[in-house]
Amino acid sequence: MIKNHPDADLLAEYTAGVMALAPTISVTTHLQFCNSCKSTVKALEELGGEMLEQADAVPVSDDLLEQIFACVEEDETSEDSLLTRPTTIDEVASSIPAYLQKFLPEGKLHWKFLSPSVKVAPISVGETVHELALHKIKVGGKVPEHNHLGKEITVVLKGSFSDEDGVYQRGDFMVREAGEIHQPIAATHEECICLSVLAAPFKLTGLKRWLNPFLSFSPS
Amino acid sequence: MNERLEWDSYLEKVGLYKDKAAFAAVFKHFSPLLKSFLMKSGGQDSASVEELVQETWIKVWRKAPHFSSKQGSASTWIYTIARNTRIDAIRTQVRQNPDRLNAEDIYADYPTEAPHTSLVQLRNKRFVSEELRKLPAEQAEVLALMYFRGKSGQQVADTLNLPLGTVKSRIRLALAKMKLALPGSIAERQTGATEND
Repeated sequence: MIKNHPDADLLAEYTAGVMALAPTISVTTHLQFCNSCKSTVKALEELGGEMLEQADAVPVSDDLLEQIFACVEEDETSEDSLLTRPTTIDEVASSIPAYLQKFLPEGKLHWKFLSPSVKVAPISVGETVHELALHKIKVGGKVPEHNHLGKEITVVLKGSFSDEDGVYQRGDFMVREAGEIHQPIAATHEECICLSVLAAPFKLTGLKRWLNPFLSFSPS
Repeated sequence: MNERLEWDSYLEKVGLYKDKAAFAAVFKHFSPLLKSFLMKSGGQDSASVEELVQETWIKVWRKAPHFSSKQGSASTWIYTIARNTRIDAIRTQVRQNPDRLNAEDIYADYPTEAPHTSLVQLRNKRFVSEELRKLPAEQAEVLALMYFRGKSGQQVADTLNLPLGTVKSRIRLALAKMKLALPGSIAERQTGATEND
């Protein structure tokens, strides 16, 4: 059962469409697992519709309707843009939202070594303020205790992990503020895969920015 | 017939029969509202705002076959399309090469498990509508800045010169009043959301 959800104000930002791309993706990922939040988002969209209804009317040009009809008649054949999904996708890749899969080269995730227990597969979505990546912690793997330099959002896609504060399972959504220190440990029967969104500032560049969390690594 | 259910059925006719008269009726009602919405959030001149209004309507026409009044009302559905249009427009503006991701892809419409009946939905909408009008000015202002002006919580805080925590709590209080979410953390709506995992 999912115990960790985005706060209501975060879902409001999501629904209002004022969130940056990477965090938006993290919320959509959570919604894939969580009917309760999905329902809240629906309700918040109703609020958007209601606010639209209560907006002050501003007249539009008289010929706007004609222009629209002219446009839709022109391309009667065109359909909604359908996503072309990669043909080969691995098991993990297929658990991330469909639209995200098209960012994976050949539909595959390229895992890079980060620590003996952790691998990372960055996904570039063309956003500058946040970084999006998948993290994989091996069975029973211990992530070195680390400090968050920037805010980090984590959504569990597969398996589970625990830290000082609790156990996080598939679908759980967590926000760690900058400065929070924790030490996640994957469950002992299954590897754990998470989608993570890391906010700037990045003190390091390239792959090493994902080592950021481990800067305060303290051997235990 | 209730005016709101009327928009729903008009929109369904557009989807089913490409009914231009029904489309024109929906257009007439919502266009001035959409212009207001897109104007406030974009801040562009009237002509470019109308381009966004036009773009929104073209999407409404094309996507109308996917509209179902069981999943939400016409105004809600139109709102989401206008919001997505705005997001994509902003993203195209700030970047030379628009990325390959459309707002529409990200806000994929996952149907909820239990669609509301029109009646329950109408009752909810009415309640939200009334409560929205009654919100304390400070809460309404925060929601308007977010939904209409397209500001994030942090940007709202900066604009109003308030701590972020205050902005967040105003949002939560407003949502609680409209029974859209309980304050503090996320919770089920009182209208019958179900937890699953």
